[in-house]
Amino acid sequence: MKRLLRLSGNLLTSRFTSPVVIGFFLLLYIGVAFFTEEALITQMELVRQSAVLVALLSLLPLNIASRIVAEMLRYIERRRLFSGTAADNESELFDETIVLAVSPAITGLQERLDGLGYRTYQTERSLSAWRGVSIFPARVLFLSGVFCLFLGILVSLVTRTSYRGPVIEGVALPTPSGNGGVVEQIRLEKSTGSILSKQLSMEVAPARPGDARVSCGIYPPTRYQGSFVYPRFLGVALLVQFSAPDLQKGFEKHAILNIYPAGKEAAVEIPDSPYRLMISMAESGDGSDPYMTGRMNFTCKLLKGNEMLFAGNVPGGGEFVRDGFRLAFPDFRRMVITDFIRDYGVLFVWSAAILFGASFLFWLPVRLFFPLRQMLFIRHGTDMIRACSRTEGKEKMHGGVFNETLDMFDAGRVERKTNLG
Amino acid sequence: MIAVKLIPHLLSWFGIVLILLRGFPKRRSVVIATSIAGFVIGVVGAFLLLRVLTGSVGFVIITSVLGMCFLFLWGVSVAAIYSRAGRGVTTGWGVRLVSTPLCAGSVTAISGIVAGAVCSCTLPAMDSTLMNLAMLGSISGALAYVLAYAALAVEKRISHSFTVSPSGMISAVVALQLFSSSSIIRLDLFSPLSMKVMKFAHDFVHQFMESMLIPDHVFVWSYLWRYIGLLFGKEIGFWGGMFIWFTPVLLVMCAVQYERLPSVAHIRQGAERRKLLAAAIRQRRLRLVVPFIALLIFTAAAYQSCYPNVEYWDPKPIVVTATSSGEIIIPMKSDIDLEDGKLHKFLFKQGGKEARFFVLLGPAAKLTVDLDACAICKPDGYGQADGTVICYYCKTLIPLETVGKPGGCNPVPITFTEKKDGVHIDALTLINEWTNTVQSTTKGKEGGK
Amino acid sequence: MSDNIIETSGLTRSYGDICALKPLDLHVPEGEWLSVMGHSGSGKSTLMNLVGGLDRPSAGSLRVGGADLLALSEDGLARFRRESVGIIFQQHHMVPYLTAVENVMMAQYFHSVPDEAEARTALERVGLGHRLKNRPGELSGGEQQRVCIARAIINSPKLLLGDEPTGNLDHKSTVMVMELLKELRAEERFTIIMVTHNQEVAAWGDRTIYLDDGVLVREERMSS
Ligand SMILES: Nc1ncnc2c1ncn2[C@@H]1O[C@H](COP(=O)(O)OP(=O)(O)O)[C@@H](O)[C@H]1O
Ligand SMILES: [Mg+2]
Repeated sequence: MKRLLRLSGNLLTSRFTSPVVIGFFLLLYIGVAFFTEEALITQMELVRQSAVLVALLSLLPLNIASRIVAEMLRYIERRRLFSGTAADNESELFDETIVLAVSPAITGLQERLDGLGYRTYQTERSLSAWRGVSIFPARVLFLSGVFCLFLGILVSLVTRTSYRGPVIEGVALPTPSGNGGVVEQIRLEKSTGSILSKQLSMEVAPARPGDARVSCGIYPPTRYQGSFVYPRFLGVALLVQFSAPDLQKGFEKHAILNIYPAGKEAAVEIPDSPYRLMISMAESGDGSDPYMTGRMNFTCKLLKGNEMLFAGNVPGGGEFVRDGFRLAFPDFRRMVITDFIRDYGVLFVWSAAILFGASFLFWLPVRLFFPLRQMLFIRHGTDMIRACSRTEGKEKMHGGVFNETLDMFDAGRVERKTNLG
Repeated sequence: MIAVKLIPHLLSWFGIVLILLRGFPKRRSVVIATSIAGFVIGVVGAFLLLRVLTGSVGFVIITSVLGMCFLFLWGVSVAAIYSRAGRGVTTGWGVRLVSTPLCAGSVTAISGIVAGAVCSCTLPAMDSTLMNLAMLGSISGALAYVLAYAALAVEKRISHSFTVSPSGMISAVVALQLFSSSSIIRLDLFSPLSMKVMKFAHDFVHQFMESMLIPDHVFVWSYLWRYIGLLFGKEIGFWGGMFIWFTPVLLVMCAVQYERLPSVAHIRQGAERRKLLAAAIRQRRLRLVVPFIALLIFTAAAYQSCYPNVEYWDPKPIVVTATSSGEIIIPMKSDIDLEDGKLHKFLFKQGGKEARFFVLLGPAAKLTVDLDACAICKPDGYGQADGTVICYYCKTLIPLETVGKPGGCNPVPITFTEKKDGVHIDALTLINEWTNTVQSTTKGKEGGK
Repeated sequence: MSDNIIETSGLTRSYGDICALKPLDLHVPEGEWLSVMGHSGSGKSTLMNLVGGLDRPSAGSLRVGGADLLALSEDGLARFRRESVGIIFQQHHMVPYLTAVENVMMAQYFHSVPDEAEARTALERVGLGHRLKNRPGELSGGEQQRVCIARAIINSPKLLLGDEPTGNLDHKSTVMVMELLKELRAEERFTIIMVTHNQEVAAWGDRTIYLDDGVLVREERMSS
């Protein structure tokens, strides 16, 4: 039992866990790709359905979280060492550690290091010198980003639910729970933004008294009753009335047509008959977007089997009559096919992106221009010092300074100022 | 002819033995013995495999083994860079493992088997009689023996300061294997890799947009969407494939280049310290040589794979017409013989629309009619080479056995009836299939949906 | 092995008919400061070049620091020059567009790898801690010669050769340079062989030899 605990503890904190798990999922992907074309989707489905794979995936955020804690502890320990308040097990915290049998009393060393751009701090037991800024914050930001990323993927894979429905003017918002407020207006406008070419807003009245009005846009997606509102396609909700000489009953139906932009066709099947309507939005003459202006004309083709009977233009609200056939669109409304997505993982992935960006912005200048370089000399008795050095960049120069400083301890040379010239 | 074809493979094998000898300097005899044995086993084994298993199964197995070698290199390179970058990562056990005779033996044996198997794929058709097998075994054994001892002689002449890290050794060995296999079109890894990358990029971008709720193309400036469309093209497959192809060896090079220099803090004389550092840097530079050569070999392999030295059978499409009942009838034997096992392309035109298709007699002696296009690529068509057809757009090889089955980059099959007077195809179905396929693939490339 | 860092016997160097150095037997114990005096053209520089591995003798044997220079290959000789000898000339031979510290780093570079911190320390040791970033043209003759000393000792040679290093210096600078050399020798324990025309300078050494027309004519031990 104890061993099991220790093993799982090691599994959680080891720095090998994450790469191995990621490698495993990569291999799994390759394996899946061998057998199916839809490898990514298949793999996501596999993970969703297998508790073992979910557990394995959840090892990633757990491992990263424990890495953050472990690295923070190391960092704190190192800081304490530098302020001269910590114990002696410093060797693995540094790149180089060495014990020298020399007198630690060196005057003038501090000024010399100051002159080289190092800041120094002396206690009776130790002398520490450092310059530059630690990249540790960037490291923590990065690890937190990785944590959020994998947590987001995990949450998204396991809990995401998605529901697609048409949002129609004057009709209640088709939320999964079914108690959405009425959509008062759908507006599509040209946008001047650099990425989005159009602006969409869906004004939703309060569902219950006391609720606020909501306006759902495109990006970032609005949240409505806990779901993200993710508009996918535009179209028209059209009341179609149709009668033909050989049909006893007229046909009437609210059709949801995915016919945006103008010219895109959608079919309406007339049940129990050989007839089929192909409907598309006609281009407006003046180049404006009929969906934006609301002045919609529809181009219709009537097909019987595979044969086209005739085609014509029907204005929204108008009708078309020929040879005993009648086609009318008494009601038409703007419509948006919308996904209602309940997925908190998205929030984590977004935060991960922000954290990665912040980490990079911190890391780059620090690493290039002022990486942390530190050294620490601790007195052991009267004739020993322990010297430690560590860098996060610009190793060469720092290594030289460190070694020269040790040489000076060795030769007791600093106080002798060659008084020439 | 055979001898000429074998030369690149034998050269690769020579190089592999040379590098293994340098990589396991204390295990020369193990390396020599296992590499010869492995090579013979590889040659004979693959020979049997290709004759016992019908169709492309044997090739698929050998290609998979090559793929696994490449994956192994990926693992090694990541481990190398990780142990370099991480402080306090101990790889002592790894180093100890590498120096055991077991490790030397197994690495060498596997390299030998793979090299032998690849060589074996170039051999002409022969019956797998005991006599032939024995001859094959002894000839390959003799060849392997001569080459291995030649490699040993050369290795002894190369300066001792030329050392190679384990990861460098693996990268060079895998590079040589892939170079050797890239000249055999059915063992090629790079093209399927690009193909898979293309598919992955496509899936991933879709999934990513959907997951991150990024607006659809209706709402996005079309010029921006065109850039997103770039992610779906052949180029992304190619460059992604390049990335996957070269990254491991580049990682190995980085791992060597950024190896930590030895600590010199215990030396109290500057000149002495610098001498030590300079020696370490020189050593490091020499250790870079082998991975660098591996990089060049990888490049050569990728080149060979992109511009294979193969002539495709690609006849000019013959224009056909439909009968009044809307049927296209292609006679079994006229100027061309439909049942000669070759690809026969036809072009059908009707009302401003046209469709390109081909008729082929498969290895199972069954005719198949397919569009000269697949469901995922631009309709650049297919050519035929040695047991396969190739999609010109994505350079994927489709074994003849699977032509006629739908899916992936396979040509889209068309229903037809086989009658005495020839093959009957419904013209409308053909035109519709073609239009649908081409519409969805070309739109897919541009719109991303 | 003896404690002599330099042992020559029958060392000869001739340029065509001209015999710049007649067969010479010379022994220099480790750590000695040897002054070499003689008229112009008496073969002093020739001797220095031979001992420093810059030139090869025509005949005789030459051992420096236990190594037989005649037996060394070109590579070996180059390594010997790099690692075992430091030379100071009358002219400073510094790169004019590099700073003092960079000039010292050049010597490190040719030896192994540059190390700026160490080069700085070396310049500090010769009292030039405040002129690190100056180019040779901005330094006085004495300072230039001190940079040369720093450059000559940066690779910790066993043997420091000076070919009239104080030839261009005034009295005060000469004394300063000599003081410095003495101090450094006390710390680093290298052997000095110094050619000079100046009796006073020669007196800083432990022993003086006089060359005339390529022949060792006289030898004089200083009483310290
Ligand atoms: N490269 C040379 N070629 C020919 N003769 C030379 C060469 N170098 C020196 N000598 C001659 O060798 C003799 C000794 O010169 P040198 O050692 O430079 O004298 P010193 O340094 O004592 O003034 C001179 O007669 C000089 O002319
Ligand atoms: Mg002279």
